[in-house]
Amino acid sequence: MNRVVITGIGVVSPVGCTLGEFWPALVEGRSAIGPFSVSRSERLTTRIAAQVSQFDPALFFEPKQGALMDRFAQFAVVAARAAVQDSGLTISDHLALETATVIGSASGGQTTMDDAYFRLYSENASRLHPLTVPRLMTSAAASQVAMDLGLKGPAFCTSTACAAGTHAIGMAFHLVRSGQAGIAVAGGAEACLTAGTIKAWESLRVLSQDTCRPFSRTRSGLVLGEGAAVLLLEERAQALARGARVYAEILGFGMTADAYDITASDPDGAARAMRAALRDARRNPGDVDYVNAHGTATAQNDRSETTALRAVFGQDAGRIAVSSSKAVLGHGLGAAGALEMAVTALAIHEQTIPPTANFQEADPDCDLDVVPNVARQADINVAMSNSFAFGGLNAVLVASRA
Amino acid sequence: MRIISRELKIPVDRLSPGTALQDLGVESIDLIEIIFALEEEFDISIPYNANEAAGTGKGEASQNGLGKLETIDQIAAAVSSLVDKKSPA
Repeated sequence: MNRVVITGIGVVSPVGCTLGEFWPALVEGRSAIGPFSVSRSERLTTRIAAQVSQFDPALFFEPKQGALMDRFAQFAVVAARAAVQDSGLTISDHLALETATVIGSASGGQTTMDDAYFRLYSENASRLHPLTVPRLMTSAAASQVAMDLGLKGPAFCTSTACAAGTHAIGMAFHLVRSGQAGIAVAGGAEACLTAGTIKAWESLRVLSQDTCRPFSRTRSGLVLGEGAAVLLLEERAQALARGARVYAEILGFGMTADAYDITASDPDGAARAMRAALRDARRNPGDVDYVNAHGTATAQNDRSETTALRAVFGQDAGRIAVSSSKAVLGHGLGAAGALEMAVTALAIHEQTIPPTANFQEADPDCDLDVVPNVARQADINVAMSNSFAFGGLNAVLVASRA
Repeated sequence: MRIISRELKIPVDRLSPGTALQDLGVESIDLIEIIFALEEEFDISIPYNANEAAGTGKGEASQNGLGKLETIDQIAAAVSSLVDKKSPA
């Protein structure tokens, strides 16, 4: 089996579209959550989100190419280009044949859908734009990334709600590890901030009107975000041979289903996914130094995730640093797992644990070291990134120092 | 009570004003569906955030003076106070 390393990272995030903006915001706990602007927002009660406010498609796309894509696919392409550039790799025609593209998204082209249905039902339009379908399909991001970069190996989309980005990276890891692909461009993209989507989330009664405070006793729910992160995965020997900078090595991937409830999470399913990832990585719970938690800041998730972490790590649970990036980035649904794996890889590379921002007071139900508000230098050999999606679809990645 | 019975698929004769939803096996998603149905029926907006369960006692419903929404009569009282507010006549 091949060993698989991360040699490139690209992000489109609410805290910026370069790693130079992204990483310091996470380390300093500078939250991107604030007022947002979307069309037809008059009847929303939600006033906050983590929006990618500095994204001008004209900077990245010729008008004709940009018009073919929904916002979520534009995010994916920009992040994928950045990941390849960051890796320093030139993808030759030959290499392109064995390069995989796996891009997750929970909800695909929501802007396209919201605009189309508004025209259809509210403005009584008699026809929709001919590109409606190609823009809104959830797999469009994978297609557009493959087209933009000329990648001709295995390509598909994972759509597992809030774990889609993690499933995408996990499956891409398996493709490179097994030799089915020499390289993979993998991540997640989401642009879910539309009036319709936010209204639907409001109806679930889980959105915070305050801010996202993971693991804090005063947490009041999740805050929607958006963005994309794409990683360049490479077979390790090949990466070392070309002198690539290696952020981290992916050691293992675990996935499970709760088979329990369509919204509530089951600690047992989460714990089994973490154990599966550790088994795949051939590591013991005691080897883990840092966990990037799913940490949505809903009452239910944070309690349930704590229970799962305690079940897996036992006595070590108190020693392991656990932080959630969602206080800074919001919950980017299908992009979240990819953004958080980018954070995890950077944490390993920089030997720095980013904090859980917006933290106010400890919750006895979440009695972990959640690294409140202040980053810390640490010896990180092995780290884990958790994603536990609605409907009980769990995905966990384990990575180590290169 | 009729709406709660319909949403929960529980015969109305098994419900009484003092019945606690928890005793009926109501999970958070069920309560959210009940609230939605009541809002639609009475054209009101019930402030409720599922994260109130975090235990701070500072959830939206309490902040808005509606009190807890744990039993059928508590829900009925909240609904009638919101309906009254809507039409002060």
